[in-house]
Amino acid sequence: MLEVKHLSKDFGGITVIRDLSFTVNAGERRVILGPNGAGKTTLFHLLTGVEKASSGSISFAGKNISKMNAVERARVGIARSYQKNNLFEHLTIRENLMLAAAAATGKSRWFFRDVINQADMKTRIEETAEQVALTDQLDLMVSAVSYGNRRQLEVGLALATKPALLLMDEPTSGVGPAMIDTFHQLLETLPRDITILIIEHDMDLAFSIADRITVLNFGEKVFEGTPEDTRGNPTVRQIYLGGGDGTYGATNDHA
Amino acid sequence: MFYQTRLRTITLILALGFLAVYASFGSYFAREIVIEITILAILAISLDFCAGFGGMVSLCHGAIMGISAYAFSIMSVKLGLPSVPSAMIGLMAAVVFSGLVGWVTARTSGIFFIMATLAFGQMAYTFFFKSRWLGGDDGMGGIDRFNLSWLGVDMNDALVFALFGVAVLLLVYVIAAILLRSGFGRILSGIHSNENRMQAVGINTANHKAMAMAASGLMAGIAGILAAQHTLYISPELLIWTVSGEVLLVVILGGIGTLIGPVVGAIMLVMLKHELSNYTDYWHMVVGMVLIFAVLAGGRGIFGQIEYWLITRHSPKTPHLPPAKEKDLA
Amino acid sequence: MDASFWLLQFLNAMQYSMLLFLLSIGLTVIFGLMHFVNLAHASLYMLGAYFGISVSALTGQFWLAFILSPIIVTLIGAILYYTLIDRMRAAGPMNQVLVTFGLIFVILDLVRLGWGDIALGLDAPDALAHTVSFWGISYPAYRLFIIALGLTIMISMWVVLARTQIGAMIRASVENADMAASLGIHVGRLFFVVFCFGCALAGLAGVAAAPIFSATTTMGITILIPTLIVVVIGGLGSLEGAIAGSLIIGFLETFGAVLLPSLSAVLTYILLAVILVLRPQGLIPARG
Repeated sequence: MLEVKHLSKDFGGITVIRDLSFTVNAGERRVILGPNGAGKTTLFHLLTGVEKASSGSISFAGKNISKMNAVERARVGIARSYQKNNLFEHLTIRENLMLAAAAATGKSRWFFRDVINQADMKTRIEETAEQVALTDQLDLMVSAVSYGNRRQLEVGLALATKPALLLMDEPTSGVGPAMIDTFHQLLETLPRDITILIIEHDMDLAFSIADRITVLNFGEKVFEGTPEDTRGNPTVRQIYLGGGDGTYGATNDHA
Repeated sequence: MFYQTRLRTITLILALGFLAVYASFGSYFAREIVIEITILAILAISLDFCAGFGGMVSLCHGAIMGISAYAFSIMSVKLGLPSVPSAMIGLMAAVVFSGLVGWVTARTSGIFFIMATLAFGQMAYTFFFKSRWLGGDDGMGGIDRFNLSWLGVDMNDALVFALFGVAVLLLVYVIAAILLRSGFGRILSGIHSNENRMQAVGINTANHKAMAMAASGLMAGIAGILAAQHTLYISPELLIWTVSGEVLLVVILGGIGTLIGPVVGAIMLVMLKHELSNYTDYWHMVVGMVLIFAVLAGGRGIFGQIEYWLITRHSPKTPHLPPAKEKDLA
Repeated sequence: MDASFWLLQFLNAMQYSMLLFLLSIGLTVIFGLMHFVNLAHASLYMLGAYFGISVSALTGQFWLAFILSPIIVTLIGAILYYTLIDRMRAAGPMNQVLVTFGLIFVILDLVRLGWGDIALGLDAPDALAHTVSFWGISYPAYRLFIIALGLTIMISMWVVLARTQIGAMIRASVENADMAASLGIHVGRLFFVVFCFGCALAGLAGVAAAPIFSATTTMGITILIPTLIVVVIGGLGSLEGAIAGSLIIGFLETFGAVLLPSLSAVLTYILLAVILVLRPQGLIPARG
């Protein structure tokens, strides 16, 4: 589904991603782990085309997408949710989801027909709202809902485009334990026709949803394997848990 | 995001009704005022379309109007084409110019967009000002109005022309409202709200903004044809940047991002100007102070403020609140 | 076109560039520091000319007018700062453009009320009223004085900004006002001082220009556009940008008018369009 080969990214002489290769299968849930500054978010920028790679290639669904810009990559079905909320402020949740859905279905070229009340769109907006548990808040302004709701909408905007590949950048960033459970459920109920790459700092969540885990450190892949293998791997403990007393809780903000 | 609410529909009917009645029962002078209002209101709707809903605060709308007026007059006066095809070419010129401006400036925002549009507008102004073939700063005359004698009316009659202007204003409002309610208009509002996220969900925002400018240019072009046929004479004065500034004033005075607000603003400004000029030569000063006050009072404008009061009284979280102050600063 | 022609045009271009510099430097530094776009800046230039004419007429002293007029304009600027500018600082470019556009109208009619609609002239001081002959041309001494004045201010501003403590404070605040504030710089006071200084230079430009162009009610609006273009081309907020921009526009317009009269009118705008497309941050942007 997604094949990354020898990907590198330099920023003015500083290498942020170094010779990174990995493959994600269709329907897989892949968790990206790594300490701060490991290059996780930069990897997402490279995958979505916001940043251009210095070298290497990215294939998606069998097509080389390395040369595509961000808009083109969104159109082939790569969606992304952000670590910091990046929503349509001053609009309602319904309008937010509508914008993402309308964009993904080419309705930006509808010059005469309204899209909010169109049947297909209505269904898609309501489906997405249900997926991210925002059905009751649909007609509230973004500014009127809680931070947790906004995190849900952040994922909802990506889901409303019906992506084939969903990149989630720390969906639970800054939310409380109750909301983490909500996200856990959300992730488990998402259909398997969506392939998911997720950067996640909550270890319980990460290990329970992951099919495989890729660990980055200083822009390099240092380990890849099942959650079981990752848990047992000494290098990962050493690097990721920082000197390792062996408990994941050492770097787990929310446990 | 645009909604044609009942309040807006009622205001539209009242405004157009007022103009029609004022023209029908007023003097020749009143009819002149009505046509002046309709031209300004159309131009203000055009600006609200791109500034209020797309965040593109243009200072070249006077120039877009003027280009349409010039292209129309060149075709009909210099080349002798009938007035309807001439008008089509005039509109096309306006669409091409504003689309080009939109395309070139699509990657700029905030003050850079304002400056860039200002510069392109002045470029067009300077071009016509220096053009000897088109009369330079003296402008050119000999323009004819549309011939509607097949409808049994004489467009050279002040009342007929004023009512024609009101009808065109209604048409432009409807065009703008339909576009804003469409997928195209919704996405435009989305770009205004968060351009970066709109790109992330697959919209080429630069192209979209350029198209929105072109659509806005079509409306400004309509104002230009009407302006040329109104005075039967055009000069570079139409294109000067202060004209664009005055249109922005009208949009702010009435309520930016409300679409009907600019119509209200145009009525207020033109009436105020004419009333003031009966008493004083210095109406610019009053207009300037009104503008400063309108911005300091929160920037919602007359219609925008009333709408805000009415909506927040019923439910504070209604979706179509007029843009709050901070939203239009982008 | 012999050497004297080129020299003459060169001096004309320099003199126009210096006027543009005096206006654009205030505008650009105010923007760089406060992120404030003051369209009424050129109206202060107009006020400078009119006050200069009045003071000169009342006292018969050109040099007194030359000093007093910028001071009066600065006082007006200070009043504007406390009544309008300061509270519009966080309001965003559109509202700033609107309020200062309103100010242009107000100041315009105040000038019409005070001085009437006719053009008013101001005689150059006796000491500079003659022409100077050199290298085969003769050139009005007053215009040479304008060039010297502009160059002096340009160089002293560069020295102040690059070498002095207040210059360092201004540069720090342009780059990052929050950081500067946390380093103990009183940013609010600095804004006020810089704004007043910008107004003083605009007033000075006005009174200096009066003997050459004479004062009219349209002089502010006419000079505003080239000034804004200078600021955008040079890069908002940068002294070097204002210097480069005023020289480019001054020379382009002067030489364009004599060498390519048919194109000259749009040359500046074409240049601006090219710069906005290729380098929207301007030629020498301020850092930060």
